Amino acid sequence: MMLAGLSAKDYYFKVKPNCEAGAQVSGYYGFDSVSFGLDAYNIEIEALGGKMIYGDKSMPTIDFRDPLIKKPEDLDKLRKKEVDWYNDGRFPFVLESLDINLEYGFGTSIFCSPFSMAVGMRGFPKLIRDHRKNPKFAHELYTFIVDDVLLPWVKVQNKSSGNIMAIGADAWACIPNLSVKEMFDWVVPYNKRLTDKAKKKGVLAMNVSGDYCEERMERYNKEVLHGSFDVEIESQGAPSLFLAMGRWQDYPLEDVREYTAKFRDEGKNVIVTAGVNARLLRDGPIEKIVDNIKRFIDTFGRDHDLSIFFANIPADTPSDHIHAAVAAVHTYGQLPIAENLDEIDFKLPKKKSFNEWQKEHNLTI
Amino acid sequence: MTNSKTLEDLKIAVLEGDDDLAKDLAEKSIKEGIKPIKVMNEGIIPGIVEAGDLWKKNEYFHTDIILCAEAFRLAMEIVEPKLSSGDLGAAGTVIIGTVAGDMHNLGKIMVKATLRGGGFKVIDLGEDVPNETFIEKVKEIKPNILGLGCYMTTTMLEMKKILSLLQKEGLRNDVKVLVGGVPTTQEFADEIGADAWGKDAFDAVEKAKIIMEGN
Repeated sequence: MMLAGLSAKDYYFKVKPNCEAGAQVSGYYGFDSVSFGLDAYNIEIEALGGKMIYGDKSMPTIDFRDPLIKKPEDLDKLRKKEVDWYNDGRFPFVLESLDINLEYGFGTSIFCSPFSMAVGMRGFPKLIRDHRKNPKFAHELYTFIVDDVLLPWVKVQNKSSGNIMAIGADAWACIPNLSVKEMFDWVVPYNKRLTDKAKKKGVLAMNVSGDYCEERMERYNKEVLHGSFDVEIESQGAPSLFLAMGRWQDYPLEDVREYTAKFRDEGKNVIVTAGVNARLLRDGPIEKIVDNIKRFIDTFGRDHDLSIFFANIPADTPSDHIHAAVAAVHTYGQLPIAENLDEIDFKLPKKKSFNEWQKEHNLTI
Repeated sequence: MTNSKTLEDLKIAVLEGDDDLAKDLAEKSIKEGIKPIKVMNEGIIPGIVEAGDLWKKNEYFHTDIILCAEAFRLAMEIVEPKLSSGDLGAAGTVIIGTVAGDMHNLGKIMVKATLRGGGFKVIDLGEDVPNETFIEKVKEIKPNILGLGCYMTTTMLEMKKILSLLQKEGLRNDVKVLVGGVPTTQEFADEIGADAWGKDAFDAVEKAKIIMEGN
């Protein structure tokens, strides 16, 4: 949004600028897949009447001071709400952008996973309190979210765009927000409920839950990490790991290999989608960014299905950092992956500014 | 003995995040004639301090801390009005808020509790706080520390602007700035000229204490 010079109003509410910005920024940086910019945690709640805050230069956000479900009785009122899945809130924006993004080769629908949606509707403290003090209501809430909100919504996205895959964003369901046990008690069952029910309607709905995001390295724990991987795999229904928002530049990657060994020993393909930490991308130095990517490739590139992604990049991240990261992926990630990546000569790319690149390609947004 | 048991039970209620019980036990402690400052120092605060220890040992997660913070808050609501003015805020005064455009408050709830547990007086300006409001309140209240929180990469840049405003208004040397929130780092804090960065709620109170020692 920032690089493309768009206001939040244009980026989050107008389909063409949103999709064009995503496509052009992806092209500028040389990403191998188009970047789809959507505030995935807000769309369903906004359409249901949840109070939102819209900033001039920031992503829309739920107003947690005034949640949609303040007390259990509010769920009964919400059940009675008639929802127009094609026209309420920003549903039309999403449906139209799915079609446009398909032209750019991005054919996946997106939704907010059950746990994160429950947080959005209730607020994290109240929801956790519900788990402990009013579990019956908590289960009712999750069931409503899956059966009455997400199932219809993913089906509409599928019907409208033809996408058979839908990915659920679930940043709230991470270590250390929740323990592994809490995720198995409250996150996994409803992820599976959604996956099972969506499958019957011809949609593969996979929830990206269980991310390991421990900030304090002294709290890093292999057992907890492996438990979070169990959550990820149960939530996605496949041996697929997202190494998403955590400090993957510091965690020992051998612990991930240790976990995936059981699948590889059975001859199964293990997908690893490895994220370059957003704060590392911003802060650098470039050498550390490049080294992080090299480590990912060296550790997983030869015997896992590896892809590398960048997400939640702070708006003031130097473009050079992202260019360097992309160059690192393309340099060390050439197939077949070299035996010794240290022997590969890495050169920092010299790149023009985004505006210069646009002019060169006769592009505007 | 009864008093000790009540205070021990109160500590456990806070530690375990049982907010209703913590509130009831705080009331019971006062009714039993235990001095409010003793209720706070031997019943309520030890609960959150022990929660911090369990957090560091990887036994507690955010769910536990947030419930503990809520129990702490409710218990303190009973006790605080009965404290003498000198009993609170001996460690210092902190103004805290989530920056403009940002509605997240999870971290702030936890930081408030740990700061109060650490003996700080905390004035919470809420969420989506305009930059000018932070400046006005710094002028009005003259806190030792201004705590800024954010949860989104799109809002963290407001912190830079607030630091600039403090400089412009001639207030920068009058207050220490402590920043925190998911997208922030030590590098970011250094870059914008903040005095400290809290990586989590328990680190925030440690950093606040270090700041006060430096003062």
